[in-house]
Amino acid sequence: MSAIDPASPPEEIVRRQKSPGRGRGVYVVLVVVIGLVLVVVGANAAGLIHLYGGSSTGVCGGNVVLNGAGSTLVAPLMFQWATSYTDSTVNYNSIGSGGGIAQITSKTVDFGASDAPLSSTQRGAIPSPGVVTIPESVGAAVPIYNLPGLNAPLRFNGSALAAIYLGTMTNWNNSELQALNPGVTLPNAAIVPVFRADGSGTTFIWTSYLSSQNTTWRNTLGFSTALVFPAGIGEKGNAGVTQAVKSTVDAIGYVDINYALTDSLSYGAVENPAGHYVLANLSNIASAVQDSNVSFPAATGDWYNVSVLNAKGPQDYPISSFTYLFVYKDLGAAYGSSYGMSKAAALTAFLRYIVSPTGGQSQAAALYYVPLTAQVAANDLTTINSLTFNGGTIPVCSTS
Amino acid sequence: MGSPANPTESPAAGNAPPEVPPAQRVNRAPVLGDYFFSTLTGIAAAAVVGLSLLLVAVLVYSSRSTLSLFGPSFLWTTVWRPAPANVFGIVPAAEDTLLTSALALLIGIPLSLGSAIFLTQHAPTWLRAPIGQVIELLAAIPSIVFGFWGLIVLVPFERYRVEPALQGTLGWTGLFNGTPIGIDILTASLVLSIMTVPTITAISRDAIAAVPRSQKEAALSLGATDWEVTRTVVLPYSQGGIAAGIALGLGRALGETMAVLLVIGNRFAIPSSLFSQGETIASLIANDFTEASGPLELSALIEAGLVLLLITLAINLAARAYLARSQVHEGGFEG
Repeated sequence: MSAIDPASPPEEIVRRQKSPGRGRGVYVVLVVVIGLVLVVVGANAAGLIHLYGGSSTGVCGGNVVLNGAGSTLVAPLMFQWATSYTDSTVNYNSIGSGGGIAQITSKTVDFGASDAPLSSTQRGAIPSPGVVTIPESVGAAVPIYNLPGLNAPLRFNGSALAAIYLGTMTNWNNSELQALNPGVTLPNAAIVPVFRADGSGTTFIWTSYLSSQNTTWRNTLGFSTALVFPAGIGEKGNAGVTQAVKSTVDAIGYVDINYALTDSLSYGAVENPAGHYVLANLSNIASAVQDSNVSFPAATGDWYNVSVLNAKGPQDYPISSFTYLFVYKDLGAAYGSSYGMSKAAALTAFLRYIVSPTGGQSQAAALYYVPLTAQVAANDLTTINSLTFNGGTIPVCSTS
Repeated sequence: MGSPANPTESPAAGNAPPEVPPAQRVNRAPVLGDYFFSTLTGIAAAAVVGLSLLLVAVLVYSSRSTLSLFGPSFLWTTVWRPAPANVFGIVPAAEDTLLTSALALLIGIPLSLGSAIFLTQHAPTWLRAPIGQVIELLAAIPSIVFGFWGLIVLVPFERYRVEPALQGTLGWTGLFNGTPIGIDILTASLVLSIMTVPTITAISRDAIAAVPRSQKEAALSLGATDWEVTRTVVLPYSQGGIAAGIALGLGRALGETMAVLLVIGNRFAIPSSLFSQGETIASLIANDFTEASGPLELSALIEAGLVLLLITLAINLAARAYLARSQVHEGGFEG
């Protein structure tokens, strides 16, 4: 503090005078930011009320909010339905199939969505009066790969795909794959299989197929939404698998068809039971569902073994499966007195809209989902009409 | 023991009685505001303790079904089979967690100590602030960014350059068996080591900077070289602070989730080499929680979180015990 210039105050004093002002400035900015956030949130909430508000007219109509949760695979389609359906407000929480089953089991949602049917344990955990199973769209798993320089789609069969994922087929230019792809120069490089690290309906479809094709797979690993793969790298979500395959040369992975089509990924053709190599598209998946001619169990029954795998038609894609909605059989008995008849009517109206060929199903193809066949849609409609409210029928509301 | 002339002035350290009574106000009655203030701070302190206890209680309560079903066998079972099999054990995940963290420290500690010593002892003064700021910036980067960088930049580099070279030169050790994919335990450890460096460096730097000048000058006056000063004076004097930094860095490595998840390969299996894919406890929870196969897997995942908490706690306690011991040694040395 020696040699102070008398004209200007010492540095220390200057800082002391400045700093409280600066501190206040920070607080002012903070308060303004918080205030703005609150205003935006408030306006949004008010806007939502305006958007979805309606007039109340008896059982039908009124401002009913329906809540669903589950599968991430059907989430884009579900969001589309929630937007295009204007009679009720539909909130869908894409927390994953396992979460959807957990939420419907604990009755915190009106419908749960899952890419795999309920296992017997899961069905046992669901409280009385139990749920009905409604197949609401079709998923298919396709093999995507990253082999630079290959133009035509590679051909695979069930035994090759199983061997790759078992870790017994380790190099791309092995004789078995080469025999399936005459004229293609396969690289002399290690295969990097990519699987889903999280529980997934796509894994359920994929491993169901591998189990149907390979006895070692069936006996040691089986099929499930989540299992520990013996080889390769695990990634989270369809997006994670896509990203890993895109960024890893020599990788192979499996994703849902709508993902592959949306992202313009190149994927392989798979041999079907008729001996044809089929490159999956919406129509050959639909025809597989058609040709499987599934005899459905009772709506409240065990759907675990329902399968549209390995359909026999010449153009059918072999690796596909339904995705499902779960709704309580008797809505009044399930949710108690707080759940009115008008809510039950609104829920069944929305479900009818989803399965309707001219309603929800007509929007599926644009988002690369396979619409339900007429047979499945008719079966779903019977199931929806069989839902009850404290034992009585639920009135059918006309949709706008 | 002469009483100080001015009662408001705090007594000099040498004269202080062993237990200092709390500061007392003279000439004024207790104020209501003060009472509220001390109550509020008391509530805040109690809330922190209460929340920690509540956290453990909730973890134990939420994992009660697997705790009672599997008991201690959860700690030595090596498979994770969701429904319908429903067998859960933590071994591979715990092993991968400890392995990646240990490797991260193995790589990170020399880097961190080196830069901390350089920053405090050798760097020209004008360079210290910029380098220090860069290191602190590294600490502020969100972990997902590290993971993304690891996936985009480090993984291909590891796959095509580092890992084939390691396999060629050190393959005989058996540590580098298998196909080099780049997405594996080694890469995860590298990303973790980079994430622990700023923490360890910043705290070690402060600890080293706190070494009294007189101590260093004493060593220098005895003819010690720079290295000898560092080894005999600086490091022993600051070892408590350095250990605290390492403990914090280890804490970050053990609990890191997203960065690891992106580069470790997420396969639940006991690793056979550093090129194996793995899954740490944190990444296991992040991967499986939303798509858990049922209530039992959820419970098992929460129990995995409990195990991670206990591992972290054990390491923290061990570090604390080590610190206490080293401080006793230090005191003995000085006295």
